[in-house]
Amino acid sequence: MHMLSRFVRHFTFATFAVLAAALPIRAQRLLVPMDDAQSNHLKAYGLTYYAIKSGASAEWLLNYRGGSFLLADTPELRRRAGLDGITIESVDDGKLADIRAEIASSNMESVPLEKAPKIAVYTPPDALPWDDAVTLALNYAGIPYTALYDDEVEHGDLSKYDWLHLHHEDFTGQLNKFYLSYRDAPWFIDLLQKNTAAAKRLGFANIPALKKDVAEKIREFVERGGFLFAMCGATETLELAIAGHDVDIAQSFIDGTPMDPDADKKMDWSRTFAFQNAHLEQSPFVSSMSDIDGHQVNVPGRQQPLGTFTLFNFAAKFDPVASMLVQDHRSVINDFYGVTTSFNKSVLKPGVTVLATEEGAPWVKYIHGDYGKGTWTYYGGHDPEDPRHAIGNPPTDLSLFKNSPGYRLILNNVLFPAAKKKPLKT
Amino acid sequence: MCAWVRVAATVLVLLLHSPLSTLHALQAQAPADTMAFYKALDLEAAGKYRDAAPLFRTAVHTTAAVNALLGLERVYAELGWPDSLVTLLDTLITQNPHEDTYRTVQLRTYQTLGRDADVRRAFDVWVHDAPTSATPYREYARLLLQRNQTAAADSVLARAKQSLGTTSDLSLELAQTRAAQGQWVPSAQAWRVALRSANYLEQAAAYALAPAPSSVRDSIRQTFLAPPIDVGGRRALADLESTWGSPADGWNALEDLPPDSAAADAWSEFAKQAEAEERWSIAREALESALRWRKTPDLSVRAATAALNAGDPVAAIRLAPPMQGDSATVAHDYLPLHIRALAALARPADAERLMTAYDRFLNPAEHNSLTRTIAWGWVRTGDMTRARAALAATGADGDSSDAAGWLALYDGNLKTARALLRGGTESTPELAVALGLIARLKADTARAIGHAFLALARGDSAGAASQFVAAGERTPQVRSLLFLIAARIQSATGHQPQAVALWTRIVQADSATPEAPQAELDWARALRASGNAAEAGKHLEHMILTYPESALLPQARRELELVHGAIPPNP
Repeated sequence: MHMLSRFVRHFTFATFAVLAAALPIRAQRLLVPMDDAQSNHLKAYGLTYYAIKSGASAEWLLNYRGGSFLLADTPELRRRAGLDGITIESVDDGKLADIRAEIASSNMESVPLEKAPKIAVYTPPDALPWDDAVTLALNYAGIPYTALYDDEVEHGDLSKYDWLHLHHEDFTGQLNKFYLSYRDAPWFIDLLQKNTAAAKRLGFANIPALKKDVAEKIREFVERGGFLFAMCGATETLELAIAGHDVDIAQSFIDGTPMDPDADKKMDWSRTFAFQNAHLEQSPFVSSMSDIDGHQVNVPGRQQPLGTFTLFNFAAKFDPVASMLVQDHRSVINDFYGVTTSFNKSVLKPGVTVLATEEGAPWVKYIHGDYGKGTWTYYGGHDPEDPRHAIGNPPTDLSLFKNSPGYRLILNNVLFPAAKKKPLKT
Repeated sequence: MCAWVRVAATVLVLLLHSPLSTLHALQAQAPADTMAFYKALDLEAAGKYRDAAPLFRTAVHTTAAVNALLGLERVYAELGWPDSLVTLLDTLITQNPHEDTYRTVQLRTYQTLGRDADVRRAFDVWVHDAPTSATPYREYARLLLQRNQTAAADSVLARAKQSLGTTSDLSLELAQTRAAQGQWVPSAQAWRVALRSANYLEQAAAYALAPAPSSVRDSIRQTFLAPPIDVGGRRALADLESTWGSPADGWNALEDLPPDSAAADAWSEFAKQAEAEERWSIAREALESALRWRKTPDLSVRAATAALNAGDPVAAIRLAPPMQGDSATVAHDYLPLHIRALAALARPADAERLMTAYDRFLNPAEHNSLTRTIAWGWVRTGDMTRARAALAATGADGDSSDAAGWLALYDGNLKTARALLRGGTESTPELAVALGLIARLKADTARAIGHAFLALARGDSAGAASQFVAAGERTPQVRSLLFLIAARIQSATGHQPQAVALWTRIVQADSATPEAPQAELDWARALRASGNAAEAGKHLEHMILTYPESALLPQARRELELVHGAIPPNP
């Protein structure tokens, strides 16, 4: 099934490329290079998103100069590029023919970007955009999004969006076990009160029950064709909440009853996206959820050091989706911690596409897969430019990291649905 | 991670304090049976750990037993033999079960060996043997904190409270634990208690509380500011305010300390930091407070200098040491301060009289330097003739000085100003503006411009602004620059409508000049500061798109990102 969908996708892209090459090219284009010539990689994604949204033609030139974008040459796009300090190059017909010839003869591909995805970010209503790497990146790049949380998910609002992002939410409902260390901290008390009130308001017995239901609705969103992108602790806990839908996997400090001692055996991994056969952390005193995370940053005896991770190079013509997700001007990137930093290989389901891994390590960093009619992508860690982010640390100022290769991976995910819609429509 | 480093830093401070003092005391005694111990210390210092180990081992049976054991612990750690301590410690503890150091080393040794169950068992035995002592709890909690086992450390402290009825002897460990748990206010309360008996921990307290989020900082402030006043706690808060980026608020923590020698030390230390950062008003306040308790010439000079640099020459004269005592000392140490203050007050005649009285104690370089200062005083009175005369009196050196260059500029003599200021030793923003201006003027004289600079030097901002505008109207080749200077003066003195009128003229009438993008950026910044983000954004967009080659583009783009909320606001 997976291979078949890849074939269909490849066939569609290849067909489009042939048709595009056969059409007479009249207008001049703007090339947005994404190699080291680009002065602001992150804003370049915002420019491309704007181009798609405003109906201008846009193509993603996979593996061509770091995954460049080819846009219609309009005064407004030039104006925006000038304002944001984005490097653009004029491409005339002759140059365009050269580019297409190079793409045709190399491990490159041209992917049309057609429809700007409607983006939703699952985040508490009072969260600042600086709390989350994705909202940081979207804000900086100027890509609009809607923030939604439990009320909106429970009321069915997910169906209004194409793309959903999750960050450090704990879908097991245990509030990341912060109770262990922060139970008297005012911010934690506030968090607990708000989540408890939301659970009651929405008709659930406690926070874990609410979060498991939200996780289920997210699973259904993907199954129906949505694009899911998750980072940090949301990756691991979403899977645990889905697999543990009918099991008590929460500790007594949050729901008044201890975790089911046989919870491990009762987990239903057939419904999850990425992981299987993971073992739950049974101790309420250990700040870890399971053995999915390879780095276990909050467990002193288990914490693993940070290294670097390497992006895989995919065949752009045969696997354009994976190629889109790894477009970058660097292939080796410094790792960064999060509540969940990485994913142990031993718990990956067969068929999961590994996009980035740490050489020699038993874990991977960046994974992707299909589920129902949709797709999901997980990226471990909290903030690519704040490798040891701690609660209370100042927010990352992306104007100081406008060429961040780690943040580029996030924005690849934002644009990828614009291309993915094409095969679904045809 | 951060919590571990903080705890480690504090523990290091504690460790560094104890062995040195003990060692000095021991060397003073030096009984015969401790010779092995001293020999072992020498060998350890020479890096001969293998040779030092047996001598330390011998010395654990002498009167230097405790220090010998600590030495043995150190050298075994270097040699990777910590397991060799286990049996010895059992023996020593059996012989002397009330020696806390043996127990502490035992905990550390088990921890180093990764024998967590034995650490726990040793702790339990220690608590059993010393049921009323806080030391076992303290040592075990510290070890756990070092390993970032905050919850476990918390449990140990809770057990201490249950067993001992209080944690007053464990306030440092409690403070560290609460900080590691993010319980910032309880941590601050515990730090306050800890600092009462160990005020040298103020930096450790500030370091531990530094990550507290802004939402709880007021509560932390209230904790340290609550009566009764403790100097240690207040010093910690002052350090903390600096760490949080508001050193001015640090003074709030110290200003109401009751005057005594500890407070005077705190004020003087705080002022030292402010002086280093050139925050002269705060430095002056702190030093004035210190002077109320401890009136020394050194503090007086520092206070007067701070006042002078803060722009208050009247206070500088009041605070400066009186011109009394050894004449040479007065001439070298106090006279320059008085001369500078009198010149700033436009009292050059008084300055000249004072200098004449002490001139024989001055070397030629000091004499010339002070003469130039007096010349500056004459400039401030507007008497350029006396200013030139004063400068001429210093000879060739005075004629070729920066001051002479400025005098030439005030006089409108651009040719001389150009030559002297270019080769000068100053590097101030004012000089950069003046050099930029005269470089663009072909003429050798420009009296109107000179008068405008002179008005500025005299502190007449309003007059200077209008004179720069008037000069600009008459010299089109530098009109935009003169208008820009005037606009900045108007903006800095709160006259925004006048500043806007000038920026508008630059952007509209002199759009091809280098000042146009600068004027539009200044304009946008003023608009953003006044809350008009929409208009600020329009100007920034216009500036960026109109001047794509401007060197100011990165600054303009950052401003635009702040206007759009694309990046976090500046702290």
